[in-house]
Amino acid sequence: MEETALSNSRITSGFKSIGSLRNISRTSVLCYSALILILLIAFSIRILPLRWEIPSGTSRLNEFDPYYQYSLTEKMVEDGLLSPYFPDPGWRNNQLWYPDGLDMSKSLPSLPMTAAVLYRIVAVFGFNLDLMTFCAMLAPVLGAFACLLLYFIGKDMGGKTIGLFAALFLALLPSFLQRSSVGFFDSELPGMIGLLLFIFTFLRSIDSKRSLFSSILYSLVSAVSLAFFILGWGAAYFLISLAVIFVFALVLLKRYNTRLLISYSITFGFALFIATKWPYISLNYLISVAVLPVVALFILLCLAEAFQNKISLKPKLYITIAIISAIIVGILAAWQLGYLAQVAGKFLTVLFPTTRANSPLIESVAEHRISTWAYIYYELGLGVLFFITGIYFTVKNPTNRNVFLLIFGATSLYFAASMVRLLVIFAPAFALLAAKGIVGLLNPFFALLKENSSVIGKSKRKLLRVSKEYSYGAILLIFLLLVLSLSFMPQNGGIPRSLTAAYSPLTITSSSLPIAPDDPVSEWIDMLNYTNNNLQSTDVVCCWWDYGYWLGIPGNVTTLADNATVNTTKIEDIGFIFMSPEEQSIPMLANYDVKYILVFHTVFIGQDQSGNLLATAGIWGDEGKWSWMASISGSSRDRFIEDGWIEEDLMWIDENDFGEPNQNTGTWIWNSRGRDTVIYKMMSWARQLYTESEPSQAAGVSPDEPGVEPKYLKPAFISGLDTSPFEYGGVIPLVALYEIDYESFFNATST
Amino acid sequence: MFPRKPDQHKVGNPLIPDGLGIVYVLFTTVYLFFLYFTGIVSPSNNVSAPLTLAVCILFGGFMGLLDDWIDLKWRYKAFMPLIAALPLIYFAIENGLRTSIILPIIGVIQFNELYYFLIIPLIIMIVTNTINQLGGLNGLETICPAIILIGLMVLSPSFILMLGPILVWLILAFFNFKGKIFVGNTGSFAVGMTLASFAIITDLKSSLIVSIIPYVFNSALILLSIFIVQKRPRVIFNGKKLHSEHRRSLVTLVTYHRYLTEKQVVMIISLIIGIFTIFSVLYLYPLIVF
Repeated sequence: MEETALSNSRITSGFKSIGSLRNISRTSVLCYSALILILLIAFSIRILPLRWEIPSGTSRLNEFDPYYQYSLTEKMVEDGLLSPYFPDPGWRNNQLWYPDGLDMSKSLPSLPMTAAVLYRIVAVFGFNLDLMTFCAMLAPVLGAFACLLLYFIGKDMGGKTIGLFAALFLALLPSFLQRSSVGFFDSELPGMIGLLLFIFTFLRSIDSKRSLFSSILYSLVSAVSLAFFILGWGAAYFLISLAVIFVFALVLLKRYNTRLLISYSITFGFALFIATKWPYISLNYLISVAVLPVVALFILLCLAEAFQNKISLKPKLYITIAIISAIIVGILAAWQLGYLAQVAGKFLTVLFPTTRANSPLIESVAEHRISTWAYIYYELGLGVLFFITGIYFTVKNPTNRNVFLLIFGATSLYFAASMVRLLVIFAPAFALLAAKGIVGLLNPFFALLKENSSVIGKSKRKLLRVSKEYSYGAILLIFLLLVLSLSFMPQNGGIPRSLTAAYSPLTITSSSLPIAPDDPVSEWIDMLNYTNNNLQSTDVVCCWWDYGYWLGIPGNVTTLADNATVNTTKIEDIGFIFMSPEEQSIPMLANYDVKYILVFHTVFIGQDQSGNLLATAGIWGDEGKWSWMASISGSSRDRFIEDGWIEEDLMWIDENDFGEPNQNTGTWIWNSRGRDTVIYKMMSWARQLYTESEPSQAAGVSPDEPGVEPKYLKPAFISGLDTSPFEYGGVIPLVALYEIDYESFFNATST
Repeated sequence: MFPRKPDQHKVGNPLIPDGLGIVYVLFTTVYLFFLYFTGIVSPSNNVSAPLTLAVCILFGGFMGLLDDWIDLKWRYKAFMPLIAALPLIYFAIENGLRTSIILPIIGVIQFNELYYFLIIPLIIMIVTNTINQLGGLNGLETICPAIILIGLMVLSPSFILMLGPILVWLILAFFNFKGKIFVGNTGSFAVGMTLASFAIITDLKSSLIVSIIPYVFNSALILLSIFIVQKRPRVIFNGKKLHSEHRRSLVTLVTYHRYLTEKQVVMIISLIIGIFTIFSVLYLYPLIVF
């Protein structure tokens, strides 16, 4: 008899299936609700900076590099995913690095592609978000996703509890938090996702308990994630070397099996195959020093496979020695003959931090600093305790996964200690090991709670003295220690470090000031609005390279240099423009067809002895950066003289030619030569104009020294003139755009 | 509620609740959190003193629990306190505490950087372990640290940090002296950590070093006899009084061929420590006030 749609039995079975929900164990309900909570925390703490974005209705991006990634995404959304790269020679962004333009095909595609694809998908569902807001929000989403991935890795490594703790730690670790909060649309995101997905799938694929089919499937996914990492973040060398060292360690531990060879070859073969299809990576990647060991290890694995068959000891030995020496000799020979592609200096200096002192260009960037133990403690708090116990428990039980975790922890700790920025790679290793430590410490106490106390007395003599209540005490103490290392951190005045890390406005929304005021600091945004509305996109604006992306991408004008720093000569030229007198500077500006020149100047409101308010130079704008302009341009002094830009006696070597610091206060005293430079005039005139503005007049602010008006530079727009002196606690950011008056300059010089 | 442990120096070895040190640890944590939340002690240079203390004491208590529970090996016990040095080093550096120590006879020793990375960890390690080693008699492991702590509090302007904890500890000491409770390793590690971290935070390490001398002497005796004759100290209880046949620790030294009641021994040792503490206070008070 056929059942009707609403037959009795169907209804009852339907109710029964709802009833069977009750059979889901309480543990898993707890576990999944905890996981959801953790992910919510991870996401919501990462969107705290939105507080300063809400007034404008859209979100911008943080710092500088994310704008570069954004421009790639925009191009992909408009012209198709592969448009920046194919057909050859790819996309050249002519608004950056005028007149050459910036070759955008030399970029890594993972992040912009992911964003573009997801943006399209979201658009299908009818959400018409602004692309920049979408990119800004992608960071917290991917950050929370990384926590989810780490949960699964942790679950594989020792159960759900470890997964949960690891996810919680990763959600709150400041180093990762900062690089995945709103607006941080940068290469660390695909890096972390690729790293975690690779670890998860690769460890599963070499698990010999799984069927061959699922092993191959996992290898394929891990290949894709490795390729995603290689195409997403330059730090991929780390992951490749880590995997190679791990597999090599397994061979040394005599844990080789055929599954390892299969997974390894599929993963690396497929990943490198995909990655080298990209013009920027190209086949050269295969012969770089960091990737060659992949091949060497592959040969070694094949050898190990061959030895699984019965071969007597002697030939075994000969073959091993022969092959290993062949590999070494081959690599050495190739290296000596120069066939090996050099790994960029930036990566080598991570391995040998002491060599970094020789390259000031790398050392000058704050995120490349060597991190100190104090900084690491400041970031991690007493969670270090659980990290150490975690290492202890991991060493005691060296399964394949734990061997990997140990190598991962040790190498990433080394790299994090070598370069502050790499603390982000250390974050998942720390989270996993700390979770292991906590669970390892808690487990025996939980076991004690579950067991019957009489049983303990009989089986374990040592436990005799301890009662069940004791375990509650221990668990409570561990909990309190956790509270102190996650939420009330003594080293941060009792405030969670994750909160101070997350709760600050985006760089552009705070106009590059390191403050967190109630309202956005809109000076920079006003300037970008001005250039957007009043300037042509082909108008060339000269500024120091830090602001190149801001002006070139959201500001929609043409700039000379930016964070890509592809052309040092041009950066020297810009330094020359700012540091020379107007008469020498303007021909150079004309050479680059520059129409406008921009300076960022912060003003501090101070008091003199009689209590009058004075506008003095601050430290966070170009007044803190000009010494770099002087020394970078001074380093090619001869070129400027030989090419006839300047006479020899006018040319400088470094900042000491322009003045000296005050012995007592450390403030810079410009000499007459310094007062003749373009940058000095632009800053001091902007400050003078500010003191003449209405809010400053009302408060009675006078300049600390009379402003010098530039002869041929006419203020086009100075953002910040209408800021009240105390709006941001006595700091005024001034973004000054000057138009170059070529006509009067050439009239004056031609006569 | 608490595990019971036999009292070796009473007739009939009655079972006495052990591990009450956890009460001290939990109360202190709550008290220090209270100080932090109410802003009575506000963070200096963005590092919170009460929370730093709380971390250290919690860690000490946790170590003691582990020791009570699995009998930690000596090599772990000796080096585990180093972890608690981290928050203190950070506190000392951020607040720019003095890096010199004033000692009687010797004078001022300037350590500079070494103070942070060598002396603080050493103080933590030595103080926690020596305090843990002097015990075994009712009241000994509670009264003596209390004397030192009171000495430190007299000298320190921020005695408020320890005001609540010392009261709780004195209550515990009273019952301990009466033979009603033991504080266990939880208590002795926690109080050792309290002394060390309080002295470092309030910059009173000189006073601590002077008053801790009897403890160091005791540990030196024990360790030397373990290394040389490979025997541990043992006091003999004849049903009424204690005496010993050797001099391998402070307790056995006091009772060597001398019949004394448990209370008398505790009083004598407390007196020794009291003398050292009073000396440290008298010696350092003028230096601090002027």
